[in-house]
Amino acid sequence: MIQVTNLHKSFGEVRALQGVSFAAHDGQITGLLGPNGAGKTTTLRVLYTLLTPDDGAASVDGFDARHDAMEVQRHIGALPDARGLYTRLTARENIRYYGQLQGLKGAALEDQIEGLIKLLDMDAIADRRTDGFSTGERLKVAIARALVHNPKNVLLDEPTNGLDVMGARAMRDVIRRLRDARHCVLFSSHIMQEVAALCDRIVIIAHGRVMSDGTPDELRQATGKESLEDAFVAIIGSEEGLER
Amino acid sequence: MNSWERIGVIFRKETVDNWRDRRSLFSTLAYALIGPGMILLMIVILGGIFRTEAEKPLELPVAGQENAPNLIAFLKQNNVAVVDAPADPQAAVRNGDIVLALVIPAEYGEAFTMGQPASVQLLVDSSRTSASPDVSRARQLLQAYSGQIGTLRLLARGVNLNVINAVSLEEVDVSTPQSQAFIFLNMLPYFLIMTVFLGGMAAIIDATAGERERGSLEPLLINPAARWEFVVGKLLASVPFAVVTILFTLVAFGLIFTFVPTEKFIGMRLTVDVVALGAVFLICLPMILLASATQMIVATFAHSFKEAQTYLGWLPLIPALPGLALAFLPVKSDLWTMLIPTFGQQLLINQLIRGEVVNPTNIVVSTVMTLALSAILIYIAIRLYNREQILFVKSSG
Repeated sequence: MIQVTNLHKSFGEVRALQGVSFAAHDGQITGLLGPNGAGKTTTLRVLYTLLTPDDGAASVDGFDARHDAMEVQRHIGALPDARGLYTRLTARENIRYYGQLQGLKGAALEDQIEGLIKLLDMDAIADRRTDGFSTGERLKVAIARALVHNPKNVLLDEPTNGLDVMGARAMRDVIRRLRDARHCVLFSSHIMQEVAALCDRIVIIAHGRVMSDGTPDELRQATGKESLEDAFVAIIGSEEGLER
Repeated sequence: MNSWERIGVIFRKETVDNWRDRRSLFSTLAYALIGPGMILLMIVILGGIFRTEAEKPLELPVAGQENAPNLIAFLKQNNVAVVDAPADPQAAVRNGDIVLALVIPAEYGEAFTMGQPASVQLLVDSSRTSASPDVSRARQLLQAYSGQIGTLRLLARGVNLNVINAVSLEEVDVSTPQSQAFIFLNMLPYFLIMTVFLGGMAAIIDATAGERERGSLEPLLINPAARWEFVVGKLLASVPFAVVTILFTLVAFGLIFTFVPTEKFIGMRLTVDVVALGAVFLICLPMILLASATQMIVATFAHSFKEAQTYLGWLPLIPALPGLALAFLPVKSDLWTMLIPTFGQQLLINQLIRGEVVNPTNIVVSTVMTLALSAILIYIAIRLYNREQILFVKSSG
């Protein structure tokens, strides 16, 4: 369960967030849709405690991101904007490092890693150094290390960025499986079709503000549009920075 | 899971990661050999020059030998190879064909017989420093001849020789051959400081600027560990690399002084005590933390791996240059010098290598001062890592 209330954040003159509020529930996929520069990444960074909001609050499973950062970090798995790997370590070692930082060790850790390698179909690459991995292979490692401690809440920043059609489809499968396992999944995207296809709940964000928040049906009803994508454009007022 | 377990996790990962970076590892070790290599080279080349110059006969081109047969005989007795000067000795010296020439004019004999000062000319080019040992030898010999003849003349006139010796100068050289040769060893502290800074540099850059450039810093910091734990773990991971590099340099020095027959080059055996080298190693240890903490702070401001490398390449010159100056301007190991981290250690290393007695208080003071400064720098590094801007120092903005 992720709760964001009235977040404000400025970087010098740039007012990145101007009162962002929404909630993401367990067992649901919540999409954060907005054009580039809308404030999606900033919102997620507040949630994974890398940024402190100027005003407002963010909490994960009841833990406040500002005052209880370590607890929040234990309860989330994140695929942030930057997803670099250690190229001199193997895929398995990359995942193990994050598991150890999360406090796992021994057989429990190794079993968890093995499970993720199976889930993400990484057997062939698991014990290779990540130097020279394709974008899709790198993303799998980044997802696996984010999920190594089996977090209840999963935050994904533009997870299909740079993936080919097959890779993007596999990614969506993973997201659905996380939902079916009762995780709270929050992912950001500027691709309307992807959000429309996946999300149980959609938060539309532009210029650092939440423009609309609801289920796909609620959004269609509110705008009177037949297609969800037309509804998005109607709400934001422009198609700029979005992708169909 | 407590802080130290997490620091252990970070330390182990960084150590393994950097251990696998063989290119950086080998280039660091290659750099570490520059110091011992330079000293070896200086012993072989400079030692060779000093030694041969003193022993070989002074080759002295003389114009007008026939004008002063006694002077020529005197020179020949004193290990001078008198040769005929070229037709234009002035031009020859100026062009560097010969380094010096003695010109004895035709009037020499007449003036000499009259008891007047008989002038001779020593042609030199003072801008050519390599000639100076030859020049001063020639000058000394000419003055000695002049003094000898003058003494004989006074003696012939019945003057007691003591009246012309108002002051009797006796020069006593107290330097042992060992201490003269130590000019080569004075470079050692300089090279060791360079090594201390160099050894952990690759690991520090990789763990800071490298982490950011790879895009692995943001996901890393989302893990539940305090920022100070990351800083300390990454800092400690540089220590084994620095320790190995310092050991490598010291062993290289030790081997040079043990197996290279230095007496062949500088006329005496240079020895360095294994115990002294061990003590030097221990004195270097606290400086590793100082070096790594400084590098961490500097690398935090770098946009990329390359930029960090450029900054950090210059960094060791700041503490090492005073040490280089020490090779020429000796400073005594007073207590105040121990208050300056790295400077105190360089003096101590110098003393140890010379086999002098080292004051234990000095060791304690310099170690404590260095560790205290390191602690302050580590604190600053932690403060830097606690800022949210740590993620955004990126050239692309």
